[in-house]
Amino acid sequence: MENIINLISYPFVLRAIFAGIVTAALLAFLGVFVVLRKMSFYSDGIAHASLAGVAAGILLSSQPLLWAMIVGVIFAILVFWLEKKTTVSVDAIIGVLFTASLALGVVLINLKSGYQPDLISFLFGNILTIQYSDIWLILIVALITGIFMIVKYKQYLLLSLNKDLAYLSGINLSLYELLFYIALSVSVILGIKIVGVVLVSALVIVPVSSAKLFSSSAKSLAIWSVILSEISMLLGIFLSLAFNLPTGATIVLTEAFIFFVLVLAPAKS
Amino acid sequence: MEPLLDVKNLSVKFGDVSVLENVNFSLDKGDILTIIGPNGAGKTVLIKSILGLVEHKGEVNFLGDSIMKRIDEIGYVPQRLDFDRTFPITAKELMDLVLKKSDIKNMEIVCNHLEIDKLLSKKIGTLSGGQLQRVLIARAVAGSPKLLIMDEPTAGVDIGGVRSFYDIVGHLNKEHGITIILISHEINMVYSLASKVLCLNKKMICVGNPKEAISRNILDKLYGGSVEPREHTHL
Repeated sequence: MENIINLISYPFVLRAIFAGIVTAALLAFLGVFVVLRKMSFYSDGIAHASLAGVAAGILLSSQPLLWAMIVGVIFAILVFWLEKKTTVSVDAIIGVLFTASLALGVVLINLKSGYQPDLISFLFGNILTIQYSDIWLILIVALITGIFMIVKYKQYLLLSLNKDLAYLSGINLSLYELLFYIALSVSVILGIKIVGVVLVSALVIVPVSSAKLFSSSAKSLAIWSVILSEISMLLGIFLSLAFNLPTGATIVLTEAFIFFVLVLAPAKS
Repeated sequence: MEPLLDVKNLSVKFGDVSVLENVNFSLDKGDILTIIGPNGAGKTVLIKSILGLVEHKGEVNFLGDSIMKRIDEIGYVPQRLDFDRTFPITAKELMDLVLKKSDIKNMEIVCNHLEIDKLLSKKIGTLSGGQLQRVLIARAVAGSPKLLIMDEPTAGVDIGGVRSFYDIVGHLNKEHGITIILISHEINMVYSLASKVLCLNKKMICVGNPKEAISRNILDKLYGGSVEPREHTHL
């Protein structure tokens, strides 16, 4: 315990905790709309697709997270455009785009010779390697996205419930859909430095799924999703430090543990 | 006087299949229009086209404007709210979604009148068909619409519920001056409640005052002789 308290005084641990708290809240809040709209595959797809951006960043010795966001925005626009333009179902479109982008990432990274520790940290996450530049990026993106989603909370809730009612309430469906895709893309990419490309969708899906088990209203769903996400994030970071475990995987396992505890908990009469 | 709603040459095709052909009618303020016709006649498609939810040809004008410009003056109650029943949203939250602040006070009066106060804290996925229908009507009416459109509002509602529903429709029309369009399979109700009827079977078979527009011949065209018209006055 004393060791953990000592560890908290290190700047890299403080950066990790700060990045974790901000990202956990943002992804859990966005996750409410993802889960209600049954878009879990989108968040998984965007995470995998972002590998092309990570590879481009590594290849150009530029900031991989920023490049991943650029790829994320392109991915969002392409999904939106193909959904309107073709009769192909949205999950198939996501499947096509994320595998293509993932393949592009593999090709790009192959152009750089030697072992790539950065790539491994993006694949499986390494919250302890977060730099001040990452913190600024996370803070700016989280503030813009978070404020936008809070301001438009009612509109997105209605859109998630029923598109016809949303349209008849004067909501511009196409614009709102596109902005949500973009907001979700950039937010998911914030999380890849923490838990990695492979696991980041858990931050979007698991806390909301846990909260949905007992929530009695949309408001309580949003609040409990964020609370459970923060508990898992902090507990996961401390457990990983205490037992020298991979941080990203420990956070996700903590989320999954809470989910199963709630599933098995006796139902309230 | 300018009609409240004017529909001209409205046609809808799904691919090569014609679903509606040249529907024409107009509504004045205070009218109650009932749309009748067999299953698959295009009644819901007609309503959704009027609302701009389905691509169509033809003109739909509301108070002289394109309907999209004044969509917030129209209340809509769908036949069945297509939603995930595990969605944890309460009736109160559904009522509040995108309601203008000025509508909030209105909402309290409407909820009280429709006797849904006790339902407001319940999740909408746990409500019965009739209860959810009343919540949706309350939501549609709270915005003080000039036109209220309801698609088979009594489907899945028990007999007592149907009667109280038609009382509510009559009240909204007479006391609040709301013009109403409703789809119904209950032909006998048309005589007592509606000021206009539109008979539809992909094409418009009749339109006008129910007593004049509905004849034995028209019903045969619509339902193939399986329906007897009977005028009910007790509703």
